[in-house]
Amino acid sequence: MPSRVFLALLLLPCLATAAPEENRFLAVPGAEFRSALPLGKRDDIRVQSFLLQSHPVTNGEFLAFVTAHPRWRRGAVPAVMAGDDYLGTWTGPLELGAGAGASQPVTRVSWFAAQAYCEAQHARLPDWYEWELAAAASESVRDARSDPAWRQQLLDWYSRPAGKPLPDVAQGPANVYGLYDMHGLVWEWVRDFNSLLPADADPEKFCGSGALDVQQKDNYAVLMRIAMLGSLRAADTGHIVGFRCARSADAAP
Amino acid sequence: MRARSGALCGILASLAAALSLSAEPPTDSIYHLQAQLTTENAARVGLDLDRGHPTVISMFYGSCPAACPMLITAIQVYESQLDESARARLRVLMVSFDAARDTPAQLAHLARLHRADPERWTFANASESDARKIAALLGISYRRLPGGDYDHSLIITLLDGEGRIVASTARLVGDEQFAARLRAAVQGPMR
Repeated sequence: MPSRVFLALLLLPCLATAAPEENRFLAVPGAEFRSALPLGKRDDIRVQSFLLQSHPVTNGEFLAFVTAHPRWRRGAVPAVMAGDDYLGTWTGPLELGAGAGASQPVTRVSWFAAQAYCEAQHARLPDWYEWELAAAASESVRDARSDPAWRQQLLDWYSRPAGKPLPDVAQGPANVYGLYDMHGLVWEWVRDFNSLLPADADPEKFCGSGALDVQQKDNYAVLMRIAMLGSLRAADTGHIVGFRCARSADAAP
Repeated sequence: MRARSGALCGILASLAAALSLSAEPPTDSIYHLQAQLTTENAARVGLDLDRGHPTVISMFYGSCPAACPMLITAIQVYESQLDESARARLRVLMVSFDAARDTPAQLAHLARLHRADPERWTFANASESDARKIAALLGISYRRLPGGDYDHSLIITLLDGEGRIVASTARLVGDEQFAARLRAAVQGPMR
């Protein structure tokens, strides 16, 4: 075993204790839900109960994953599954360095890498509807989307200047399900990220007349997410795109 | 002596070809994905089942009323433009993202219906998780609608023998550039 790997393994328990709290899978009860996505017909959709991790996956957690799974290390991943700048904030394939704190959300991860991480936890990425349902909650109610003050809070995040280092996870208040950072920290991959817009949709139309097809047109914060996810390719490694994992409630842990 | 060394070279060359095929695919090859497909013969195969041959790959669902039969016909029209020996090198892989309904029996029915050459065409289904990954590699988007139909993009992709994307088209007919890439791919050496 290369000594570096060994060292990283030795450090794992320290990294785990440095994390703000264990990244638990928390229950989100199923619900009838009016999504912002355009549907064939305008009925509510039914989201089954599921479990979602309490905060975005951190650099420390992802380091443990690539330590145990060499094929997902920077430099070892096929180009078709992750772009050149995969884990580009890290100092080395098994070193976080000064630019990537163990409690900061991991970014510059492709959809394939995020999915592989979740599979290693016997989990998966959440579907968009699951993510959207969980993200509709405020600290006190499950669906805060019609609350103007809550909406303004989300929009304030998008207008904050970029380029600052990302804060650690789980610093703000948790929502009613106990989930942190559903807004305000990073964009998050979802399992069906490439299927949110109709197959023939032109992303450019999204801001114009095509936007009429989208429900809840005044829910800008969520619409921006849909537009951003729809513009990504699965090997892309964006500098503020992270993820968290989900499990179906009926699946074995 | 000369003839013997020629034969030896032939053996060595085919050995080398066999060895290079079993090696890791190139970094930009979609054959890095370890997906499990179930074919119309109920065989379990990987995405790389046609490795070594230029391959046309696309995704569909069998109960689709119009667009998917058109997709299959469109690929048949593109390959009908090749001469026979070139066409013999080409493989076609049609992956269904509706594993629940597109059972091997249903896929076999579809293959017969379209008179697809069983030597060269494979119809297969994939699990939800694997289908998502294959779609992501091919830039195909699809979404299951509440009624059980799928909203999806029609994209035909040409792979070289090593699983690298050579060309793709969203035009079912008359994409001359795609047709030209297809001709070049099957007229080149086998690999």
